[in-house]
Amino acid sequence: MSRTPPRRAPAPAGALAPQAPLSKDSHLAAEIKRLVADGERDAARERYGELVASQQRRAVRIAYQYLRDAHDADEAVQDAFVKVFTHITSYREDLPFEVWFTRILVNACLDLRKSRSRRLRWAVPMSATSEIAPAEPATPDPSPEQRLVSRERATEITAAVDSLPDRQRTVFTLCHVAEQTTAEVSQALGLSEATVRVHLFRAVRKLRRLLDRR
Amino acid sequence: MRANHLSDDRLIELCMLDALSSAEQQHLSTCARCDARRVNMQRVLEEVSEVATADADAAFPLERLNRQQARILARLQHEGRPARVIAFPAGHAPHEPIASRTRPASRWIAAAAVGGLVVGVIAGRFGHDYSFQRAGISRVIASRAVEQPELRAPVTTGAIREVAASISDDEFLDQLETAIDAPAAAALQPLDDLTPLAWEVR
Repeated sequence: MSRTPPRRAPAPAGALAPQAPLSKDSHLAAEIKRLVADGERDAARERYGELVASQQRRAVRIAYQYLRDAHDADEAVQDAFVKVFTHITSYREDLPFEVWFTRILVNACLDLRKSRSRRLRWAVPMSATSEIAPAEPATPDPSPEQRLVSRERATEITAAVDSLPDRQRTVFTLCHVAEQTTAEVSQALGLSEATVRVHLFRAVRKLRRLLDRR
Repeated sequence: MRANHLSDDRLIELCMLDALSSAEQQHLSTCARCDARRVNMQRVLEEVSEVATADADAAFPLERLNRQQARILARLQHEGRPARVIAFPAGHAPHEPIASRTRPASRWIAAAAVGGLVVGVIAGRFGHDYSFQRAGISRVIASRAVEQPELRAPVTTGAIREVAASISDDEFLDQLETAIDAPAAAALQPLDDLTPLAWEVR
């Protein structure tokens, strides 16, 4: 199918290739780090706005996929970006910024999930409906029947992804939705690349089993 | 040819991670079954990706992203700056320097705390001595009360207070019971009936 999102060139098996050219955002992060180190915080903040704009869409997709709640995802993304700026001096310029940022973002999501589970322990459920209905994949002017089928399929897919164990879901989200290589995901999650691949394979096998339409 | 069919894991790798080798490419072009499996897996993955992206994009339209970015930058504005000091209750001149306001206040608070501590220690000591003295007196009076039955007569609350210091605890409780039986206390009986007893409440 031609709709396949273009994937980045696969990284060689093993550790993250350090010689790989760093992204534009990694260079920008390095520049912000220098500005902060020189005490030019206002200039650093201004440049940081560009970095936020560049990474924001990807960040909310990861957070939303992980938390399934727009408010929580918003909060997690904000916390992650603020944390990145306050700790920018500890950023290692030889590593991709995306990996470092993803690690911080996943930790922010985990923190929020913990606090949400504590909150829900005391909360009375209001309704069984979710905050936002799953959106339909964009198709040009579908008929009502097509829209209904598409909505049902979207719900089915969301439920299938939600049914994955946490680790598998995280790995799958980072590899497939955030389009990171297994090497980058292993760096971001602090797992070996072989473990990342195992989780990824299990996740895809399970999703295929749940979603296969023969 | 059957032995060369691609495994599920290899198909996943091909769909998500790796590029096709020439041998695999050749196999897929001749093996309809493997090619159908690959296409099917690719389709499932695309669907998942589309739904995940569409969900997040619907929850975060452009305006929301702009608001989020503004909030992040606003939070960073306050990052690294000392917290604003809010003056304790009004009444001080606004131009008065903070240092001159807080120092005497903290001195007064410290003095009040020390004063309270001293009063507490003295009161505690006094109460301790008082209770010991009372216990001693009670023991002496207890023997005398046996010989003086008029102490068991009904008394008023004021009298109870006076007598309490000079009689034993048992006698004091006896006198309380007598006072409760008095007509004035009878008015409180309905209220007593409405109130559950301590041992009835679990």
